[in-house]
Amino acid sequence: MTEKERKGLDRVREIYQDRAHRAKELKAEGKQVMGYLCLYPVLEMLTAVDLAPYRILGDMEEPITKADACLPTVVCPFIRSALDLGLKGKYDFLDGVVMAHICDVGEKTSHIWRTYLNPSYFYFIDTPHTVHKAAQQQLKEQLKDFKKTLESFTGRELSLDKLKQAIKTYNRQRALVRELYDLRKPDPPLISGAETLQVMVALMSIPVDEGIDLLRQVISEVKEGKNGPPKKPARLLVWGSIIDNTALIRMIEELEANVVIDDTCVGSRAYFPNVELTDDPLDGLVYRYLVGLKCPRTFRESVFGETKKDYIKDLESRFGYIKDYAKEWNVNGVILQSVRYCDIHGYEVPGLRDYLDHIGLPNIYLEHDYSEAALAPLRTRAQAFLEVIG
Amino acid sequence: MMSNEKKKRAINRLKTMYPLRNLIDEMYQRGVEASKIGKPTAWSMVNWWEADPILKAMDIEIVYPENYGAVCAAFGAAPAYLDRSDSDGFPTHMCGYARNCIGYAARMKDLGEIPPEAPMGGMAKPILLLASGSLCDARYKWFQALGRYLDAPVWTVEIPHPGVEESFREGAYESAINFMVKELGEFVTFLERLLAKKMDWDKLAEITDDIIKINRLWYEINELRKARPCPMHSRDFWSCMNASLYPAGDPKESLKLYQDMYQEVKDRVENKIGAVAEEKYRLAFAELPPWHDLKIFDELAERGWNFVIESWAYHPPKPIDTSQVSNPLERIAKETYQWFTGSFKGALKAKEYMGYFAYPYLEYARDYQCDGALLHPLLTCRTATNHLMLVQDRLLNKLKIPSLVAEGDIVDLKLFDHADTMRKAETLEEMMDHYRGVRREEGLEW
Amino acid sequence: MTKVVIMGRDEKICARIVGPTGAEHRRLANKVMEEALEQANLSFNEISCVIATGYGRINVPFADRQITELTCHARGVVSLFPKVRIAIDIGGQDAKGLKISNGKLIDFVMNDRCAAGTGRFLEVIAAALGLKLEELGEISLKSTNRVKISSTCTVFAQQEVIQRISEGIPLEDIVAGLHDAIASRVAKMVKRLKIEPDVVFTGGVAKNAGVVHALKENIGGEILVPDEPLLTGAIGAAILGKELTLKAVAKGETIQRKERRLEEATFFNRGN
Repeated sequence: MTEKERKGLDRVREIYQDRAHRAKELKAEGKQVMGYLCLYPVLEMLTAVDLAPYRILGDMEEPITKADACLPTVVCPFIRSALDLGLKGKYDFLDGVVMAHICDVGEKTSHIWRTYLNPSYFYFIDTPHTVHKAAQQQLKEQLKDFKKTLESFTGRELSLDKLKQAIKTYNRQRALVRELYDLRKPDPPLISGAETLQVMVALMSIPVDEGIDLLRQVISEVKEGKNGPPKKPARLLVWGSIIDNTALIRMIEELEANVVIDDTCVGSRAYFPNVELTDDPLDGLVYRYLVGLKCPRTFRESVFGETKKDYIKDLESRFGYIKDYAKEWNVNGVILQSVRYCDIHGYEVPGLRDYLDHIGLPNIYLEHDYSEAALAPLRTRAQAFLEVIG
Repeated sequence: MMSNEKKKRAINRLKTMYPLRNLIDEMYQRGVEASKIGKPTAWSMVNWWEADPILKAMDIEIVYPENYGAVCAAFGAAPAYLDRSDSDGFPTHMCGYARNCIGYAARMKDLGEIPPEAPMGGMAKPILLLASGSLCDARYKWFQALGRYLDAPVWTVEIPHPGVEESFREGAYESAINFMVKELGEFVTFLERLLAKKMDWDKLAEITDDIIKINRLWYEINELRKARPCPMHSRDFWSCMNASLYPAGDPKESLKLYQDMYQEVKDRVENKIGAVAEEKYRLAFAELPPWHDLKIFDELAERGWNFVIESWAYHPPKPIDTSQVSNPLERIAKETYQWFTGSFKGALKAKEYMGYFAYPYLEYARDYQCDGALLHPLLTCRTATNHLMLVQDRLLNKLKIPSLVAEGDIVDLKLFDHADTMRKAETLEEMMDHYRGVRREEGLEW
Repeated sequence: MTKVVIMGRDEKICARIVGPTGAEHRRLANKVMEEALEQANLSFNEISCVIATGYGRINVPFADRQITELTCHARGVVSLFPKVRIAIDIGGQDAKGLKISNGKLIDFVMNDRCAAGTGRFLEVIAAALGLKLEELGEISLKSTNRVKISSTCTVFAQQEVIQRISEGIPLEDIVAGLHDAIASRVAKMVKRLKIEPDVVFTGGVAKNAGVVHALKENIGGEILVPDEPLLTGAIGAAILGKELTLKAVAKGETIQRKERRLEEATFFNRGN
């Protein structure tokens, strides 16, 4: 197992280049690998029955061909790409798939995936739209059922102890991701945004305990600070829809900017929220996966049942955490980005820009269509934005 | 219109359709007038009877920005509102109805009153934005985004969207209903605080009952369309669906009008009167029609095309008996959930996992013995578009029914290409003829 | 189009070049530079700072800095019209709106995805009508009954125009309609910046009196056009170069990051 000899960022790059390699290896060793789409499937439960979770991503460099026959072109190109890879057999090594009501296109794609690919295990979690108590209860009931299906699929018991253990393990990994992100607080940051993204992709491709080891190696390597990025005038936060390829961040970082923090789902959104260890561990999981995860797919009001609407207060409650990030990472500009046809991010853009204007953070919105070729025109916009704030 | 009037129309419209259609036209004016005399107005969206009965029972006037989007498109007012939404930074790929509404709200905020150019009296300033997560997540995001222009609070009603197989798991049904009932209870409490008045539960029970009756009748009317020749064309469905769907106007009045319609359709079935003179082809339509080009259906009717079933999302639920349920909120929850999951049993059996939106068309095609389908994807409406390629594939491969895709949009009326669609229609006819033989060979019934 | 401006410390222009950018020219920035140096009667060593801007900015290996055309345009426009708040630039490949406050670029919008709303739109349709690009403005001013071009896509608009011609609609009314189509598209985009006077219009399309007229109508106000609307970006680049140099000199630094040689752009020396 020569690849295991590589460590830290070298290992990260290796995984990033060939994501599925480790999963296929595990499968050859007899481990079952479970694919999942987006952030809403509960990973702790998979790990607790000894399944290896593997995040289904797209591939910006692979032209979409097969998905054209089952998803129209006017929907999220990331989801189209992920489905395309599935239809091309690139996810055939998965023993099963867990999907969720992430957004409508993701939801429809879940059903299309099952209809055409018929995986031996499939579960669809209908994540509610709101975060109210009743919604939490509804999610909890589903997780109880999800647990039963996992047990019958694996023939193993998903015990409370194992679940608590898994929660602790994931929280440990999340703490390490925070630690890595902390290394982006100095100026210059000790690790670039593009490299951080590679680490995140790697973590989503290997079992959680291996991810913990990898993170430890990466953190100590980065702390040595040998190959960190140069100091640049702009310290940016990147917000928006999924970024699972380094091209966009690399393009930004080739300019006079370091990306020091993100609010995207192969990044802080996936790792910052912890799970509280509650008496019934499902309660903590429900809270984290429904209330804690901050994707615009969820409807939130600033005060439950508010009868008066205060716009700024509403923005504060929805986006206040971004202000905290900006302060902690000493950010002086925000790039909002979204893939075309992403409704849930699209509706958020003017409101978030209002909020950033309100707190005095320069910002720009970039829309792209999930292909490397289409990034070129964005370069001028990004560069001009840096000139404006510089 | 005038020349059509003179010519004998190829589609034999139902006489009972007209008074039902008028109900909707009166709705806007009534809303504006009601708000002038201080009656609270809510902006709402299609919520499949989950919230509207409650609003009605609380005596709130309801207007529908989605429907108003279609009105603005028809009156030519939409482009200016879309431009406003674009220049306020909302991405242009988003829902045309939403962008129209956002532009309208922005303009209303600028003026401090209903914009004078607004068609049909405009939409009055709301005290509440009632959003729904049902079928389309862009909708609650849209109402949330209206916070830029309106100080009305937003409430989002919940409806579970389970997977086909998951919906039959032990306890899943009870949990879903329980969830809805609890949320609706919270909604009532919220409304009571908002309006500083108590819910009249008897009134709610009565309205709920009326709406269920309307939907039952409307369902039975559509069942009659299985007859050959089909007595009622899709155009009549679209003209009348709003009185059920929204439900606009006085439910008791609607109920009576649907009763008249039931009689007329039944008479036609008994006398073998079809909606088109010579029914050569029976078709299904998905989803919303090209509103500005409905005359295309007359042209197609001249070729013997009868549209016998359509627009799954706008059909009432398959009947279930909820008459013994005493809590109106529970009745509402069960009916709405039934609307969503009503075809799931068949879907599971057929191993079709998109149990709503896609599978119902397979059911329709079989039950209504369709020869073909016309699918109408909408450029800015992903909800009405996502599933259509799946539908096309399944219709052809499972039921040997060919279909035609004609693209359009909900507000950008230029997108629908009439001439091109008519050209393609000829090809579809050849395919429909061909696949009749294929179905027979494969032992399908029609 | 490729433009070069060489400017002295006193902001006097000592060379100006405007010429088409051929496929070859993309690599041959050095040749255009040589031509400009000749015009200015200067040697390359005498240039203290080279700024590259625009789409081709990465193809100028001898540049000291690359600055986007947005910043350069803004600077150029401010030097000509100090009171400018909104600058609209329509070139052959894109259209831009710039918001300027106290002489500084503070926000911008751009369209480079789609030919409609850029000079390319007029080029394609002028060709279809068998007209020269330069003639369009004059022709359209004769229009008394402008026709509405409803297609928003260049390809469809072209068909629509041919259709109108065959209907016997006067040429000037069609051309005026085209000008309105492009102006309304650009105005719509620029409105995102909340338009305030003074509004300045630059770029190749600003030479077209018909579009200037239509743009005035579409934004509902006066528009200023510089004498040489094609050169504002290059002028801005030169001024920024001068400012950078003076700043560097004041700090006792040098602006040059590497040895400068007038050479062709190759895969290896392209700036990134």
